[in-house]
Amino acid sequence: MKLLEIRQLEAYLEEKKILSDVNLEIFPAKIHCLMGPNGSGKSTLAQVLMGHPAYRQTKGKLLFMGHDLAGREADERARLGLFLAFQNPVSVPGVNVANLLRMAVRVKSNGQKKGKYNPALTLSSLNEEIFAVSRKLDMPREFLKRSLNEEFSGGEKKKLEMLQALVLAPKLAVFDEIDTGLDVDALKIVAEGINRLKKIGSGILLITHYQRITKYARPDYVHILSNGRIAASGGMELAEHVEKDGYRKWIGNS
Amino acid sequence: MSNSILPADYRYGFKKKENYVFKSRKGLDKKIVREISYYKNEPEWMREFRLQALDIFYGKKLPSWGGDLTGINFNDIYYYIKPVTDKAASWEELPKEIKDTYDAIGIPEAEKKYLGGVSAQYESEVVYKSIKKTLGDKGVVFLDMDSGLREYPELVREYFGSLIPPQDNKFSALNSAVWSGGSFIYVPKGVRVELPLQAYFRINAANMGQFERTLIIADEGSYVHYVEGCTAPVYTTDSLHSAVVEIFVKKGARVRYTTIQNWSQNVYNLVTKRMKVEADGFGEWIDGNIGSKLTMKYPSVYLMGKGARGEVLSVAYAGKNQHQDAGGKAVHFAPFTSSKITSKSVSAAGGRTSYRGLVQVFPSALKAKTKVVCDALIIDDASRSDTYPTMDIRHNDVKIEHEATVSKIGDDQLFYMNSRGLNKSDAEAMIVNGFIEPIVRELPLEYAVELNRLIQLEMKGSVG
Repeated sequence: MKLLEIRQLEAYLEEKKILSDVNLEIFPAKIHCLMGPNGSGKSTLAQVLMGHPAYRQTKGKLLFMGHDLAGREADERARLGLFLAFQNPVSVPGVNVANLLRMAVRVKSNGQKKGKYNPALTLSSLNEEIFAVSRKLDMPREFLKRSLNEEFSGGEKKKLEMLQALVLAPKLAVFDEIDTGLDVDALKIVAEGINRLKKIGSGILLITHYQRITKYARPDYVHILSNGRIAASGGMELAEHVEKDGYRKWIGNS
Repeated sequence: MSNSILPADYRYGFKKKENYVFKSRKGLDKKIVREISYYKNEPEWMREFRLQALDIFYGKKLPSWGGDLTGINFNDIYYYIKPVTDKAASWEELPKEIKDTYDAIGIPEAEKKYLGGVSAQYESEVVYKSIKKTLGDKGVVFLDMDSGLREYPELVREYFGSLIPPQDNKFSALNSAVWSGGSFIYVPKGVRVELPLQAYFRINAANMGQFERTLIIADEGSYVHYVEGCTAPVYTTDSLHSAVVEIFVKKGARVRYTTIQNWSQNVYNLVTKRMKVEADGFGEWIDGNIGSKLTMKYPSVYLMGKGARGEVLSVAYAGKNQHQDAGGKAVHFAPFTSSKITSKSVSAAGGRTSYRGLVQVFPSALKAKTKVVCDALIIDDASRSDTYPTMDIRHNDVKIEHEATVSKIGDDQLFYMNSRGLNKSDAEAMIVNGFIEPIVRELPLEYAVELNRLIQLEMKGSVG
């Protein structure tokens, strides 16, 4: 069963075409690793999936669990079960992650049909869940009360993104360079988070520059994005090839 | 969705059937002022005070600064309404309608949880009042102003109008002429009132002015926290609220005065509040303004004794067709005095906020310290915020800090929160609540919850 189907996707940022013809299928409980050189459109793909208003989807289709995402705002996509861990999460003064998650969970359950609301998810059980996850991520409790991403180090911001993913347990989690700027301990912790999401059935799109994280979060599929299209798909051997020879093989033959 | 249409479940917008014993005719003249005094059975000096104040009111022009006051028709207002003949001593004795009104704003719960004493004002008259025995045993006086005048005439005569005389401004003159209700508090030397004293009130008659008058005297080394919250139903004709609050903080005493106001969108809210702080005393205003058509309010601290401290925390939210002209005023007369004014304002859906502040340091106030922080958050391009800070410093041996920021909610911040499932208005409300959090933190819990909820409702109404 496909979780997300990207068909012939073309997308622009202002007047610049960044994605020209992306075709990709993502499956539940699988880790899809998306690699590619700088400027190949990896982050754009993440933003377009999430519905960033600055990017225009000009051609093709995004089908998420059968829903056409075209014309749906980011918050609606999120409520359908899509999650994006940002490469550079912005700071939001005065809003802490615990409050944001409480609100996110609330709007998600409001969106469900009557009778489907999960009464087990009370406020206190949600708080417990947030604490439990933060412990797993080795995050001090006071992080939960600090303003989002304000005066957090690069690595702490990435953990904060992972915390949100784990608490919200999305159908599809897109991680945009979650491994950048992490030391080896933090990298392992974040990779464990990815594995945990996979275990509970989330599909994962892991966007990265480096093979490093794949040691700890082993991808089921590897895709190479180059010049705004998927240049190759395969397994771990593709990541190993990149590690050895870089992206030369796929650059320039668009 | 139109901005003027509030959500159907807007619990602060209901209106109860009016039930009055006496209602003055509309308009203002000597006869009405005499009538008010007569119905209250006041001493002669108070009647004379009222009549003089009325003359002063006639002689003063409307302020030319601040907001637009030309919409007030002073002749189209009821200046006095007396709802029930006798004051009820307990909750059970209250008429059902008044109980229903209070139920809707949550009074009984509030009382169960906290209260040292409740003095809730329905229309112009305090109708419900209960003072815990412990307060009485400590010698603490907590009455409505009318009873205060009756039971403590000397004390009232000594202080009433001495800090904010009728001559101060047109609206203090108006209040002095027609005042009714409000609270009278006296805390004896060295007594600490640990629970906040609370008063709720609401306007419930169209075209009805609310002119309450509060006088607090905190004797040497005492402490009291007074909390005042009010919510008002929605009306179509203009209403006027013009209160006067005078507070005396004696040597080493501390008074904190918390207000959360949510007037309906047709109310002119013009309040004069002043604290006189003596040596080593500490006076604090926490002032939250939501709703109203126009609010002009600048709680003041007059630092008269060596080492006196004063703080003003002001938070204002202006939505469509609203102007919040708020801020604070600190006047340093004595050495080693310190003041801090913190203002946070939010404007949305075409609303306008203005910070207006004054810090004055007289030559006698050596080594004075003052800090002013004003932050404005503007939600959209239709909204507006201005800052009018004035510093009048008459010597050099003073430490002054002034910070001001104006921020807008960024698209990236909105997108980030959208990506977590929050729609635009939820996200904005969260950012706004975060922005005012440093002030909300200072409020008693139930007020903090109410303020957050009110702002959420306002944001939903303003974005839709």
